[in-house]
This record gives sequence, C-alpha cells and structure tokens, in this order.
Amino acid sequence: MKKIRVVALFVALILVLTVFATGCGSDDASSGGSDEETIKIGILFPFSGSLAKLGEETYAGVEYAQWEINEAGGINGKQVEFVIADAVDATAAVAEAERLITVEGCKVIVGSYSSSISQAASEVAERNGVIYWETGGVAKSITERGFQYLFRVCPTSAEYGTIAADYTNDEIGPALGVDPKDLKIAIIYEDGAYGVAVSEAAEARAEELGLNVVVSEAYSATATDLSSLVMKVKAAEPDVIWATQYATDLLLFWKQAKELGLTCKAYVGTGGATGTAEFRDAFPAEDTQYVLNVAFASDGSNEAYANGLTEFYAAYEEKNGTPPPSVYTIVGYSGAKVLWQVLEDAGEMDPEKIREAALAIDIPEGSLPTGWGVKFAGPDEENAGQNLRAHNIVDQLQDGELVVLYPEAAKDPDSKLYLPLPYLAG
Amino acid sequence: MQLIIQIAISGLLMGGIYSMVSMGLSLIYGVTGIVNFAHGEFLMVAMFLTWGLNSLLGLDPYISVILVVPLMFLIGMLVEKTVIEPIIKAPHSMQIMATAGLSTVLANGALMLMSANYRSVITGYSSKTLNMAGIMFNVPKLVGFFAAVALTVLLALFLKRTYTGRAITATAQDMKAAQLMGINIKRIYLIAFGLGTACVGVAGVVLMPMYYVFPSLGTYFCTTAFVIVVLGGMGNIYGAFVGGLVIGMVEAFSGYLLAPVYKEVVYFVIFIIILIVKPSGILGRSGRAA
Repeated sequence: MKKIRVVALFVALILVLTVFATGCGSDDASSGGSDEETIKIGILFPFSGSLAKLGEETYAGVEYAQWEINEAGGINGKQVEFVIADAVDATAAVAEAERLITVEGCKVIVGSYSSSISQAASEVAERNGVIYWETGGVAKSITERGFQYLFRVCPTSAEYGTIAADYTNDEIGPALGVDPKDLKIAIIYEDGAYGVAVSEAAEARAEELGLNVVVSEAYSATATDLSSLVMKVKAAEPDVIWATQYATDLLLFWKQAKELGLTCKAYVGTGGATGTAEFRDAFPAEDTQYVLNVAFASDGSNEAYANGLTEFYAAYEEKNGTPPPSVYTIVGYSGAKVLWQVLEDAGEMDPEKIREAALAIDIPEGSLPTGWGVKFAGPDEENAGQNLRAHNIVDQLQDGELVVLYPEAAKDPDSKLYLPLPYLAG
Repeated sequence: MQLIIQIAISGLLMGGIYSMVSMGLSLIYGVTGIVNFAHGEFLMVAMFLTWGLNSLLGLDPYISVILVVPLMFLIGMLVEKTVIEPIIKAPHSMQIMATAGLSTVLANGALMLMSANYRSVITGYSSKTLNMAGIMFNVPKLVGFFAAVALTVLLALFLKRTYTGRAITATAQDMKAAQLMGINIKRIYLIAFGLGTACVGVAGVVLMPMYYVFPSLGTYFCTTAFVIVVLGGMGNIYGAFVGGLVIGMVEAFSGYLLAPVYKEVVYFVIFIIILIVKPSGILGRSGRAA
C-alpha cells in the first residue's frame, strides 16, 4: 500500500510540474476581475512541442501589442488581459479552445501560427459563436468553410504558391537566361494542411503559366531522415525547387541535399522557414547565399510600403532588449493591432458587435508594418473572413541578410536578384 | 543500379543510428520489464549535454563522449533510484504513467531551460561526404554506423564475459532464480537502467554533428525506437541492432519507391504483421532475455 501511495504522489507531482511547465498562463487569468474592468482575450498558440518556436515568435508580437495598448490606456479605457492556452497540436487546440470559451468565458480568441491548429480551434469558436482571430495560419481551407466568426489578417497559402510560380516565370527564368517553360521545377512540401495547401496552389498556377513541374513530393515534417526525398528530387534533375517546409525539416533537407549531391539553380522557400534566424545560424553564410524566400513580410521592406516598421523595431528593442526575433513577430503584432482597432470600434465585448466592426473596417494597403491593409471578405463572399488586402513578399538571402525583391513597391531600388545558387551548384 | 546502392547505403547508415537509439530501450525492458517512454527524452538530454560541452568548453562532440556517457549512466541510475525502483512491482499501467510522465517533465523542463530553439554543432566534418565510385557516404553517419556495431559487440561481450554482465543476463532470464543465486536484484536493475541510458548517450553524441537538438526531439525518435525493439524482439540487443537496420532500409526504399509520406505507413504495416505472425520479434524467443 505504501508503495502505491508513493507512486500516486509521484504521478501527482508530475502532473503539477507539467501544468506548471506548459501552462504558465493560468496566473495571468486569475489576476483579472470582472469583464467590465478588463478586456479578456484568449491566446491560443503552440508554446510547446515541435511548433513552439515560431508559435512563440508570433506571440512575442501579440504580447508587445498588448503592452503597447495598455501603456496607451487600453481599449476604450479598459486594459487588455490575456488568458493563455498551449495548443501543441490540433487535438490539444480543440480542448484548449473549449476551455477558453466555456471555463474562461473569452469572447475573442487570437491564434495560432499553425494551420492545423487554426483549422481545429476555429471550428470550436464558430460553434460557440466566439470570434476567432487568426494572425498567422495560412492554409486556404481555413477561410473556405463560410464561417461567420472567423477573421484572418494574414494572406492565404494560395498566395504563397501563386507568387512562387509567378516569380519563377517573371524573374528567375530571365535571371538564369532561360525560357521559364524550359525550367525543370521540383515541388517538395510537408504533408500537413499548410504544405498541401501551398503546393496545390503552386502547382495550379504553374499549370496556368505552362511551367514544367517534373516532380512533386510530400513528406512528414517530423521525419528524421530525408535521404529518400533528396534522392527522388535529385533523380528529376530540377533547375528550381519550390519548398514548403517547417524549420527542422528544412535544416535536414538542406544538409542532406548537399551530402547526396542534389543540384539546382534556384531554391524558393514558400512559407518563411528559409527566412528564419535558425536557418541562417545553422549554416555558414555562403551556404545559404541566394536562397529565395516567400514570406508574409520582411524586416527589410522600405518604410513607404510597410508603415511603422522601423518604429516598431526600435520600440520593441527598447522594451525587450532584443530586436523582434523574426517576421512572425511583425505579423503577430500587426494582427493584434488590427484587432485592437476592431474592438475599439465595436465598443463592447459582444461577438455580434465585434463581427460587425470587423466587417466594416477599411484600412488601405501599406498601413501596417507588414505592408498590408485590411478589408475582410464578407460572409457571403468566397473566403469569408479573409483579409483581402494582405500580400506576400519575396526576399533573398544575400550575405546573411534578407533583401526584399518583390513587390516593386517594397523593394529598395538598388536591390537585385542574384542566381544561380552557389551551395547546390554541384 | 548506382541509385539502388545509394539508397541502400543511406538506409543502412541511418539504420545504424536507429539501432543505437533502440539498444538501450531494449536492454532496459529486457532486464527490468519497464517500458521506458522517456527514452527519447534521454536522447534529447544526451544531445543537449553534447551541445553544451561543445559551446561552453569547445569540446569536439566525439571527444565529449568520455564525459557524456558517464553522465548519462549516472542520470540513468538516479532516475532508476527515484522513479523506477518504487514502481518496479506496480501494475503496467502505473509504470507507463510514471515513464510517460517523466518524458513530459523532461521535454517541458528542457523547453523552460533551453527554449524551443534548434541547436546544432557545426564541425569541420558535419557535412563531409566520402565519394566512392559515385556512392556518397556521409562521414558522421558512417561514424554512427561503426559506433553502433562497436556498441553491440561491446555490450554483448560485457553481458557474456563479465560477472555483472552475466548477473544482468540471469536476472533478465529469471528474476527469482537469480535472486536465489545470491544476485542483488536491486543493484542489477540500477546498473541495467544506467547502462541503457548510457547507450542512448552514445547515440546522442553520434547524432549531434549531423542533427539538431530541440526539446521535443524525443518524440521524433521514440516511435521508431519502439517499432525496432518490437521488431527485433523485446529485450534482445542483437534484435535491436538488426531491427534498426531493417527499419532504416525499409524507410529509405519505401520513401524512394512509393513516396516519402508513406515510409512510416510501410514500417508500421510491417510492425503489425510482425505482431501477428511472430509477436516475439525476428530474433525473439518467447519470454524475456537480454
């Protein structure tokens, strides 16, 4: 009997520690008070597990936006209070979204970086008539369900794929001195909602443009070895690779591609993993030279295109002592700022009022630090709740710095595209 | 033809790494009967140790093996003493709870201490490849493969030739009889657990120059390790070695011939077939044996 007690005690200890380690947020919640004094917002990001890295980086921007608005006196005089939930994966996201709504009584949930998490959690929010505010999950399918309470500030996966194809057709082909239709293109993508959606859009656009896709392969982002993928792509002898990847699989692919002698002239990362500091830090600068990256936004966009970017960078660094870790932070910050505007317009924390305010909002392009404007697609339109004024950019790693190349408006007039890629030249 | 050989080589080398990760798991199960769900997290801890020694003291990963392996042995013994010993006779469900809980604590503890960043050790040989008649051999993987062979041989010699090793084997075969022969079971469990953890320490060191370490790394390797252990025969270290190579090859070939997405499907199908046809594994006998 004594042994069982010891074991039971130990299990209890583990549970307590686990909650302490992963949750960490419940103390934010308890300090609150009644809804009248503060505005309570559910925060749903992956803070642990394999998606934690970029989940945290997005949240860093949301958190900064909270601090900023509270410093400025809050929204309509009320302080913004966060209730934090850790969504490791889609299953946890559902459970946590339910907790935020039923136990914590949140009327707005901000998420979530990962498309799979967003897809699952927004379903719960919709069913309960709670606003789901997506800042960074890109899968097109998220806004294809005709949801009434779902709003997405960032661009969709469709645009990532489309831009990769357009950019290859308009810029990469000419830069290599080849007719784009003669380029052999390989598509690789992780097999989750995000990878599938981006690659589908890319493939569809490639077909419209008459580009030659020679191989298109999915793989699991948690794979510990990608040599069979590399071999398959290598056998197709591609000129250009479009890759939709998360962080670890990109690092692994990049290493193994070189080891197994894969060659290509241009590498376009669609989705931002190629733009992260991890990727730059994991390799010497000459090994990532001239990698192209399709992203939400860039820290290198000029001020005329991305309003308030420089200011945000300086203010963030002053508060936290370090600059924003990546563009995901800018995206999180921009998304949250739009939400504050909507909540101010709505006047009260009633999902119906917030919804009306969101649908009424009209911010011209170039107003946010990401370079976006805001106009949400109405409930009867295709992609209901999607921000129609959010666009991606293309940048390139040049000597370890991301240099913006597309669109024209965001680009520095002196920047230019450099190819071929030295690392995989063979 | 060259392509087929390249795929086979890639699979075999990766299989060596898998073998090494699985060996400790198999040993621990064989002797103590504990299914250690925290095994993948031990790998993560070993890799963080290797990384830490490299970034703090500038130690080459391969040299740090002399520190990491004893440290992991001690960590293993500490865990056995505090977590495993109290539940060694408890029902399976309780043991699973304890080791699964341990895995959560380790993974999230690492997340708190180290953040979710990916860390790697860049060495001169990290991306080195040997080109033999057009077939590429990745140097760190080759080292890993030979380390796996060496580890299997050393472990086998230890279990066959030394008194402690034979005592471990005896305990694995029949715990009660071993006890009657005057073997201190508690001590054997302690040593076996430490040894199993030290094995994963070797795997961590060998993986560091070619892979990345992050807090949730354990889950990436854990399922593969379980499949290998069952495939090779629970508790059989040769089985773990052979099982690792088989899974490495299956992964490489199914990834190439079918599609990379299906490689996990294929080896889990093999896993299920083994469970139906020969539940004791390829090299397994009925009952546990080291």
